[in-house]
Amino acid sequence: MIRVEGVTYSYGDGINALDGVDLEVMDSELLAIVGENGAGKTTLVKHLNGLLKPQRGRVIVEGIDTMETTVATLARKVGLVFQNPDHMLFAETVEKELSFALTNFGLPPDEIAKRVEWALIEFSLSNYRDRSPFTLSGGEKKRVSLASVLCYDPQIIVLDEPTTGQDSLQKTRLATTLTKLNRQGKTVIVVTHDIEFVADFIPRVVVMSRGRVIADGPTEDMLVRKDVMEASSILPPQLAELSWKMGLNAPSINADMIVKEIRQMLRGELK
Amino acid sequence: MKVFKAFEYRRGSTILHRIDPRSKLVYLILFTSLTVYFTNPVALLIIFLSFLPMVYVGKVSARWRQSLRGSLFFIVFIFIFNFAPAAYYSGNLLDAAVSAIAMSLRFLNLISVFSIFFLTTSPEDLTQSMVQLKIPYDYALTFNMAMRFVPTLSREAQYIMDAQRSRGLEMEKGNFVSRIRNYIPVLIPLIISSFRRAELVADAMESRAFGASKKRTSLYVLKMGHNDLLFVLAAVGSALVLFAVNMLL
Repeated sequence: MIRVEGVTYSYGDGINALDGVDLEVMDSELLAIVGENGAGKTTLVKHLNGLLKPQRGRVIVEGIDTMETTVATLARKVGLVFQNPDHMLFAETVEKELSFALTNFGLPPDEIAKRVEWALIEFSLSNYRDRSPFTLSGGEKKRVSLASVLCYDPQIIVLDEPTTGQDSLQKTRLATTLTKLNRQGKTVIVVTHDIEFVADFIPRVVVMSRGRVIADGPTEDMLVRKDVMEASSILPPQLAELSWKMGLNAPSINADMIVKEIRQMLRGELK
Repeated sequence: MKVFKAFEYRRGSTILHRIDPRSKLVYLILFTSLTVYFTNPVALLIIFLSFLPMVYVGKVSARWRQSLRGSLFFIVFIFIFNFAPAAYYSGNLLDAAVSAIAMSLRFLNLISVFSIFFLTTSPEDLTQSMVQLKIPYDYALTFNMAMRFVPTLSREAQYIMDAQRSRGLEMEKGNFVSRIRNYIPVLIPLIISSFRRAELVADAMESRAFGASKKRTSLYVLKMGHNDLLFVLAAVGSALVLFAVNMLL
């Protein structure tokens, strides 16, 4: 479980990147953090593994106050995958790239071999085992960076903008992987402004704007709230927009629900 | 990494910002030479004090102080490595301390004078003044871009360090050799992304017709005014005074 209590953080430019953020994430939840550029999303997730320490308030991860421990300790519990794989990849081969974190955490060699094998298969990277990560395509690099964190089996998985530059097939695959991990009991947090991805796959959404959490709740309720979408300058999901334009009583992000309501409306009018 | 921020130009309208870069270049060269030439800590301290009115007039004192704070580590380093061997070989602690202080002050002065120059001189003006000093445009532009990408590079280094620490890399762990080895996972992505960026910039420049015409003309041409000449005179004058003071000390 993660508890963020009244966290304030400033990079020293007079603006609070985080301005009193409260957030509670239960075990094995799947949630998205959305918000405009500079809303503080990345700053917030950097607090979860101790890369940044709160200037006010506190962050408690699995009962540990992040102020009282190191990034290396927290990183074992919280796997943070950054947006740009080029900031991560450095090894000669994909295989070595995957074993980097495992070696850092001091796992025994046979265990490392086993987990690398798992990750290669899970992310369909087996063919690239001996390739240099730099010769891979964008989508493949992204998968390597994901695999290089997930291979050490962290309980909490945080992904910063995992869908940027991915085509729709890769996005669906990513969603499948995340849902699967979540079913296995992992807590998964996705930072994104790909609102359609959130609408399609993620049950809980936290909306941030200017360093604050302005809404938090079930995705189907949050994404149809016009005030929230406008305040955070997020392009609302197309279905929500359609609901608003048609003046539906119960706006929805679910196509079937909308169809149902339109049917009812039409019947009502025909009567 | 914050130390680079202290050299980042931000628009300003003080008299120091408006002085012709070539005049400031004279000041930079003179005071750099004096700093390197002087060995007396008192003379070096006087030079250091002479920067105070400059940063005040240029309204850059906050970032100048930041640059000093950022270089504190190096200053301590320089002090120790000058003091320890000198004290060991001569046995005279006072002499060793004096020369170590002089070396530290020298470093402080160099940081300060370059910091004042770059904080108050816009990169465009600097390139233009280099061109007007008959330096080929290609070289002037290369220099300008190198300066411009320093903060970008330092930001990128920070991203990479964050990413690798998130994968359990402990930079501070182990003995001297393994600490250096700890930097490999940071340096390789940094170097590769720099090359990639250089290629991108080259493409972007060519698509904007860089080098299409042999003879370039400029929209703005720098002209030396009264203030600029006065500034040069003041710089030369104060350098002479400092030189004389150093002889007397």
